[in-house]
Amino acid sequence: MNKMHYVGQNEVRIDGLEKITGAARYVDDLEFGPNLLHAEIVASPYAHALITSIDTSEAEKVPGVVKVLTGKDFPYKFGLYMKDRYIFAQDRVRFAGEQVAAVIARSPKIAKQAAQKVKVTYEELTPVLDVDNALKPTAKLIHPELGAYPRVPWFFPKERTNIAHWRKTRKGDAEAAMREADVVLEDVYVVPRYAHCAIEPHVIVGLYDLAGRLTLWSASQSPFTQRNVFAETLASLGLSHKDIRVVTPYIGGGFGGKAGVSMEILGAALATAVRGSPVKVRWTREQEFCNTYQRQGLTAKLKMGVKRDGTIVALEHTLHFDAGAYVEYGANVVNAAGLSATGPYRVPNVKIDSLCIYTNLPPGGPYRGFGYSEFHFGLESHIDRLAEMIGMDPVAFRRHNAIREGDTLPYGAEMNPGNLVEAIDRVAADIGWGKKETPSRPGVSTGKGFSLFWKSPAMPPNAASSAFLKFNEDGSVNLMVSGMEIGQGFLTVMAQIAAEELALPVSKIRVETPDTDRNAYEWQTVGSHVTWGCGNAVRAAAREAREKMFDVVHRAYGFDPADLYLENEHVKSRAKPDFTLAYRDFVISGIQTPHGNFLGGPVLGSGMFMPEFTSATGDPETSQGGHPNVHYTVGAAAASVEVDRATGKVRVLKTSLAVDVGKAINPDLVNGQVVGGMVQGLATVLYEDMKFDERGKLLNPNFTDYKIPTARDIPDVVSPIIIETPQPDGPFGARGVGEHTMIPSAPIIANAVNDAVGVRIKSMPLTAEKIALEIAGTYADPHFTTGGRCKMPTEN
Amino acid sequence: MISTEFEYARPKTLREAVRLLGRHGKSARILAGGTDLIGWLRDDLVKPDILIDIKGIGSLGKLSFRQNMLRIGAGVTITELTESRAVRTHFPLFVEMAGMLACTGIRNRATVVGNICSAVPCCDNGPVLMVYEAVLQVTGQEGDREIPMSEWFKGPRQTALRPGEIVTGVTVPKPAGRHAACFAKLKRYRGEDLAQASVAVLRSDSICRVAFGSVAPTPVRAPNIERILTSRMPPEAALEAAIDAIPKETSPITDLRSSKEYRGRMLGVMLERAVKTVASRLEGSGPAYGVNVLDDYTADAEGK
Repeated sequence: MNKMHYVGQNEVRIDGLEKITGAARYVDDLEFGPNLLHAEIVASPYAHALITSIDTSEAEKVPGVVKVLTGKDFPYKFGLYMKDRYIFAQDRVRFAGEQVAAVIARSPKIAKQAAQKVKVTYEELTPVLDVDNALKPTAKLIHPELGAYPRVPWFFPKERTNIAHWRKTRKGDAEAAMREADVVLEDVYVVPRYAHCAIEPHVIVGLYDLAGRLTLWSASQSPFTQRNVFAETLASLGLSHKDIRVVTPYIGGGFGGKAGVSMEILGAALATAVRGSPVKVRWTREQEFCNTYQRQGLTAKLKMGVKRDGTIVALEHTLHFDAGAYVEYGANVVNAAGLSATGPYRVPNVKIDSLCIYTNLPPGGPYRGFGYSEFHFGLESHIDRLAEMIGMDPVAFRRHNAIREGDTLPYGAEMNPGNLVEAIDRVAADIGWGKKETPSRPGVSTGKGFSLFWKSPAMPPNAASSAFLKFNEDGSVNLMVSGMEIGQGFLTVMAQIAAEELALPVSKIRVETPDTDRNAYEWQTVGSHVTWGCGNAVRAAAREAREKMFDVVHRAYGFDPADLYLENEHVKSRAKPDFTLAYRDFVISGIQTPHGNFLGGPVLGSGMFMPEFTSATGDPETSQGGHPNVHYTVGAAAASVEVDRATGKVRVLKTSLAVDVGKAINPDLVNGQVVGGMVQGLATVLYEDMKFDERGKLLNPNFTDYKIPTARDIPDVVSPIIIETPQPDGPFGARGVGEHTMIPSAPIIANAVNDAVGVRIKSMPLTAEKIALEIAGTYADPHFTTGGRCKMPTEN
Repeated sequence: MISTEFEYARPKTLREAVRLLGRHGKSARILAGGTDLIGWLRDDLVKPDILIDIKGIGSLGKLSFRQNMLRIGAGVTITELTESRAVRTHFPLFVEMAGMLACTGIRNRATVVGNICSAVPCCDNGPVLMVYEAVLQVTGQEGDREIPMSEWFKGPRQTALRPGEIVTGVTVPKPAGRHAACFAKLKRYRGEDLAQASVAVLRSDSICRVAFGSVAPTPVRAPNIERILTSRMPPEAALEAAIDAIPKETSPITDLRSSKEYRGRMLGVMLERAVKTVASRLEGSGPAYGVNVLDDYTADAEGK
């Protein structure tokens, strides 16, 4: 390949100046004029209850109230992968905070005052608040109609239970192999729920105009998926996809929380009730915590068998996900984990059971890491313990078992390229593995922890990307894609890819956030796949434009298109070194012939991409046979910590993370992902923690008691290491990197704390309190009463 | 968003404020920094008929230091307090505490007096004002009176203030002779947090005062511990005995922020580190004011 000018360069992000100066606009910044209406939601105070009556009459009398709506007005189901939700609760509520009614009024204040006058009476039911209770044969069914819910073909609900989906993956014979193992360790690890805590809360403005168009301005990662869900859900109102337009300005963070459709369904539905007036639904921070998506809780039972030489022979991994009241998105998190819960290891004998379990807690859903962050905590803690049991260095143990290109994945397909061994070696060198750091003062102990990680996008097999681009008179380009700029630098990277193909500086390409009327289709910006998927589409669009440019030059001048190339905003020919034609001289107006007429015209390009090799047709009992995942991105990470033995406080001195990204289109942005993901992950392991009371009400839906990191809580050093083993089907060899960087954060800390002070904590988060009380021997973790069961090697 | 309806008044004089307060009684709320009150209004936790904004009363915004007496007016913000040269020189404990109190934005707005009027058990100014033996000035239609800090807190969110009264300020005497102090705050992380537990220690050649926050229904002084620490016992033995006495002085509970076990255990660590830090500061060798000895503790390292 020729030397690249734009791809691989640290181009300054194209949205940076706008954001720094405050010019960037977010949904709540948009002006809708004096007719803008405001909606306030009436939420259920109960986690599980039957609705016996709703009286809206008092609320309707409040001056300034336009309409009060309830489930009766919208008896429509919706959902991304499984239609298990209603726009408003119908006959029962399934989590505290669920929307029961809405007041639309002329001001937010009137709406809030009137909402307090909506009288809802409930018959409270016993809530099911954890997976163990949900699985009991006597458990109350949260969705008695489960079997009848429309769903994607790769979900396998168990009717008349609370199991919404059960992903089984079987390879080899785990049971038999476990008997052959020299050492077997079995234990349980618990991961609580987490909140995304994007700084911008969810907000949507809907306008159903008198021309029959429904336009939504939405803080979303998923404009086209939202359009699709809105169209499906509101089809009975006569709306089709062409009538619905979703505009997504910049968003203040997503992390998965603004993927799919959660509260946004309210904006779409309510707009249809007040035709001609825009209506805004804006979540408070409390609603942001209670009624969007939460990261699902996980109770993971791990049983792993290894040989004395350090070879892993078998893994049994049972994952019980606390998926909450609705799993229309969350069940796919469970599915993803169930296909990949071996981690990036060669495991010949595998038995994975990943269960999506309904509870009466808020709906679970996508959160950076999509199931992988959750299961890596237990898996990588377990790996460290097994290495210790056989007397092997944990890094050497990981290296020995690390997955390599061509290995057979748990579901039978082949592992894609990626150099995990290099990642291990470089992280070990960077963190100074094997070297004990000197404590900075008496009373503290130092330690290091290591972890591998992997993750694949979890997408339907036909998740697609597309792109348009068009040249302008001055040779500049507008590129229209519908991946979402969620802070990761997507717009910049797409511009770099187009720039490389079109030999045009990034500054001459404008890429903006999506509008489904104008921009090309994109499934959603999730799964760390848009650089890969949409990047391929942009590349195809640029190449199509280039072919059109070559064609018109060929027709005008007779040059062989095979000799033509683009350089520095000009078309050139290898056969005619003195020929040069600037883009601005022909991309709109064409090329004039000696006869005075013009050839060509406005140059456009369009491109599409779909991973045509994927399928979700694996056997439900084994997952063998399909090719559900496009590729895995692999890497390694480590932490160096200092633990105060008296207070239990952990100070993270350094983290190091190596990831094989295939090709870093923009290394600075990759480094940004490493730092951001690591800090976000460290918060989940050190202090973030959702706490619910015995009736299922979230006790800390605020930043007073749900702590997210501040500048003071960043490690002293976060060291990113980029490895580039090309992905053959990726743009310039790139594969995804976004979620990956927070996946190893929890286990590197758990392992480093164990190394420092000799306590193995098996439930997240590892708060200072837990560590101090464990050291003192006085901590009684409600989740654990034993240290796990194990079979030790016999002496010989 | 605040949906409750109320009147708003911004009197120019204290007399006018007192008159309004007398008229509305319990249905009035005083608005100073508003960093607590506005949140409570938004969450519908309070529904006053009137907010009396005292920021327009010039006399309440004054901070002075005369004849070894610091006077903090009711309108003085945490930032104004800690930027005062007199405070930085003579009352560095305020600076140490303020550095751990919320964030810059809140400190620019929140007042010292407002913090103790909210009277939550974790209020950071409570233990500090207690060890300085500060005195509050209160006025009302019945006239003026003074309330020593030791009699101020009556329970969670309850104070000795009577309906119709307003706190105009607090006076803080400068401790006599050579003195040093330390404020330690247990937080869930280094970022801004409410105290899981806090301790303030103030020592001079003649006195030792200790107060705790977040480990009882109100901030509390610890007279038994003070007595032990000023006894003739050797310092190490006294410290050990003081730590043993903590359960008698405190009654920590389990809540969202911490278990009572952790609180109890950490009080010992905090008292030890604070006492040792004060000792080293008295000798002129301790860490500069502003460190949190729970995150960056150096007294032991220097001792060894």
